[in-house]
Amino acid sequence: MNTLSEHSILISPVEELAPELLNPVVRDIQKIFGYRTAIKSLLQDVEFALDTGRSQYHSTFILKKLAGLAPAGVVKILAITRVDLFIPILTHVYGEAQLGGKTCIISTHRLNEGLATSAVESFSRRVVKEAIHELGHTFDLRHCQDHACIMHYCRSIKDVDRKSDQFCRYCRILLADEIKRLSST
Amino acid sequence: MNSTKILIVDDELIMRESLAGWLERDGHVVETAASGEEALQKLKEYHFEIMLVDIKMEGMSGLDVLTKVKESDPDVAVVMITAYGSISTAIEAMKNGAVDYLLKPFDPNALGVLIDKITEHQAQAREILYHREQYKDRTRFESMVGQSKPMQEIFDLVQDIAPTNSTVMITGETGTGKGLAAKAIHTNSPRCDGPFVVVNCGAIPKHLMESELFGHQKGAFTDAIETKKGRLELAHGGTLFLDEIGEISMRMQIDLLQVLEDRIFYRVGGTQPIEAYFRVIAATNRNLEEAVKAGIFREDLYYRLNVISFSMPTLRERKEDLPLLTEHFIRRYAQETNKNIDRVSREAMDEMMLYEWPGNVRELENAIERAVVMSKSREIQPDDLPIFRPEHLADPHGNTLKEIEKTHIVHTLDENQWNIAQSAKILGIDRSTLYSKIKRYQISKPA
Repeated sequence: MNTLSEHSILISPVEELAPELLNPVVRDIQKIFGYRTAIKSLLQDVEFALDTGRSQYHSTFILKKLAGLAPAGVVKILAITRVDLFIPILTHVYGEAQLGGKTCIISTHRLNEGLATSAVESFSRRVVKEAIHELGHTFDLRHCQDHACIMHYCRSIKDVDRKSDQFCRYCRILLADEIKRLSST
Repeated sequence: MNSTKILIVDDELIMRESLAGWLERDGHVVETAASGEEALQKLKEYHFEIMLVDIKMEGMSGLDVLTKVKESDPDVAVVMITAYGSISTAIEAMKNGAVDYLLKPFDPNALGVLIDKITEHQAQAREILYHREQYKDRTRFESMVGQSKPMQEIFDLVQDIAPTNSTVMITGETGTGKGLAAKAIHTNSPRCDGPFVVVNCGAIPKHLMESELFGHQKGAFTDAIETKKGRLELAHGGTLFLDEIGEISMRMQIDLLQVLEDRIFYRVGGTQPIEAYFRVIAATNRNLEEAVKAGIFREDLYYRLNVISFSMPTLRERKEDLPLLTEHFIRRYAQETNKNIDRVSREAMDEMMLYEWPGNVRELENAIERAVVMSKSREIQPDDLPIFRPEHLADPHGNTLKEIEKTHIVHTLDENQWNIAQSAKILGIDRSTLYSKIKRYQISKPA
């Protein structure tokens, strides 16, 4: 992890995040995407996105706000929140990303489903996978048919556990192309 | 992931946007319409595979949209979106041809499963249609066989280019396995779940080519008694293999170039543009560069097709693969014919190694197929191989080894314009031995 500088991925926890969840995210993002990472909270809360009727938070609103707060030179922003996220047509989402855009967000709210409170490592693995998955979308990657690929869309939390934390061969090539394109612009 | 073209019809902007965003991240191509009228207009302009239609809308209702869509384009899968209060209407819609309904807000899993189910069903339907309409010639798609350096290079190349979307041109003599290489690229690519559609440009009569490739609307011409999808449309989401590309007419070259550039085409007699996303692999045994120079093949199409190119080695260039290929074909045909044959005799293999195999692997395959049928023993003998049988050779009485050898030497010399060094190399003997055999057999150079 570095201080905030150009060409870095900014990890922006909304609420305080336990180090055992945050540190693996930082480590794996650096390793997989090859960018420096920095941690800075851009939003103190997400109450502006609350839908009182659903008691959930509209993730698209949060992404738009985050994009407006992006510090200059930051390549991508990953927000992490504890609140339950939704988009209007769906009951819930684990996360949302601007496809090929700057921002993405994940929610830890449903990621500990079926886990004992002591199963921190399993919880952390799910958080890392969701973080990489949503960041993958900001690098213009779509869902992948390969069940083991990190970009595979999981139907259930069990599928999240089953998939690896790596990109498949094809997604790796597409990611490398996109990183190359970004570095040349 | 294969993208599906989806039209969302909902009069609420926020619903359209959130659904479109989710589907785009899932890899689909999404259009939206704020009303039934706008949806029907878009349907005239583009081809969609799935429509997600809200039942309750201002103006034209979702049910009305469904009825109109089913009249104009019955292949489109329509999914109704409904609130709790109108489930009965959704069920009514299913009776009228909707494939399913979703209760909003819906679980993302339910949407994903439904889209997958529909696209899988549509892909199967396309595949079935393709196979049904496929020409009767048997197409075998077994894996390529070979341990030689040229084949290892081909395997590496296939592995490297398969994940890309680039157009590929495969050249090589007849029977070298260009089709197998194309199929291997397809099966190793992200499109492997999509169809692999073969167009044998040399086998389809020129006057039928346009309809075969682009399909036709009912009534487009006298025999067009029903609307038929063309092979370009059937290849959507997969790979289009244009075999013997050098054989297509100049007119079809222009049409094909247009499709490759725009990915949009019209069925014969149709007015609705159809978009199809497929990878193109072309193959030819012709020298297309010379065809371009001669003005019989368009230069722009040549460069459009020739993005990545490679040449399949002849069997002559990889004779070390002959035992492996032979074993492969023996196993297959012994199994097909239920015969207990598992090898060729040493003598037969020696002869096979000397033979030139002008028809390449296909000739070898045919030879082994025939030998398996004819053989009376567990081991294939030289006499079982048609290439060494008297009727295959120039001399109908040449049934002794010496006569066969003489005929083979004459054939090799003729093939190589009596270049002694080259002929000796192919025959696997040195030049002095070849000279002595020419003298012994009293072979003379043709005038």
